[in-house]
Amino acid sequence: MSADQVYATRKFTFSAAHRYWRAEWSPAENRRVFGSLTVPHGHNYVLEVTIRGSVDAQTGMVMDLAELKRVVSDAVIQRFDHADLNADTLFAQGAIPTTENLVRAAWELLAPKLGQERLWRLRLWEDPTFYVEYFGHADHGGT
Amino acid sequence: MSAIQLTRQYHFSAGHRLESASLSPEDNARIYGQCYRQHGHNYLVEVTVEGRPDPITGMATDLGALDTTVKRFILDRVDHYDLSSTVPALAGLTTTGENLARAFWEWLEPALAAGTLRRVAVVETDNNTFEYRGRAAR
Repeated sequence: MSADQVYATRKFTFSAAHRYWRAEWSPAENRRVFGSLTVPHGHNYVLEVTIRGSVDAQTGMVMDLAELKRVVSDAVIQRFDHADLNADTLFAQGAIPTTENLVRAAWELLAPKLGQERLWRLRLWEDPTFYVEYFGHADHGGT
Repeated sequence: MSAIQLTRQYHFSAGHRLESASLSPEDNARIYGQCYRQHGHNYLVEVTVEGRPDPITGMATDLGALDTTVKRFILDRVDHYDLSSTVPALAGLTTTGENLARAFWEWLEPALAAGTLRRVAVVETDNNTFEYRGRAAR
């Protein structure tokens, strides 16, 4: 890792529906484990995307934030905004669209477009009181 | 006792525009878009310092002293100025959030106890944050 890295974070919002449900469990078991989350409901999500890199000497920027907006909007926001997350193909294999799984899905969508080196952290707020963070790098030591 | 990191927030308001002297007017307009026009922000600066809590006071950092230092070395230099034209210490620098975070670090770090500054973040708008952790950081 080269020195002199700057971290730039941009915030995005989307609204989506989900429910917690395992098809192979009985309704009673689902309700016991997930409680009220078994009922389809929704959230106003906030996704914070942090990229890192060295600052371009000419532009003074790590990355053109307009380009970042374009990439995240195309890859993630348009896909998830006003969508039923349980119906997304990302969750067709049975993974429940918890905030944890959703942030990892967003990472898989963004990493190929932004680059593993440049994409540093995703923070996904489910509501104003709860967020999860994901650092998809094996070498990450925490911030 | 192990080290504690403490973050304090400061505000200033300033004008700026993004323009690189090494780019043509056309390229400046294309790359920086609306930021090429003169405008301004209510900036938020977060300063994170690290220290070990004093066994008597329970405090890792004297916040009053930190406030005084940040005011003198950062806020007084930029609050209600045009960052792109009226701040001598920023002359020749394109005032992106990235460059501001690094500049503020360079101004502040020598004024604090050695090795205590951990992070400077510049929050330009509610949507955009720029963080710098020094040259030694990963």
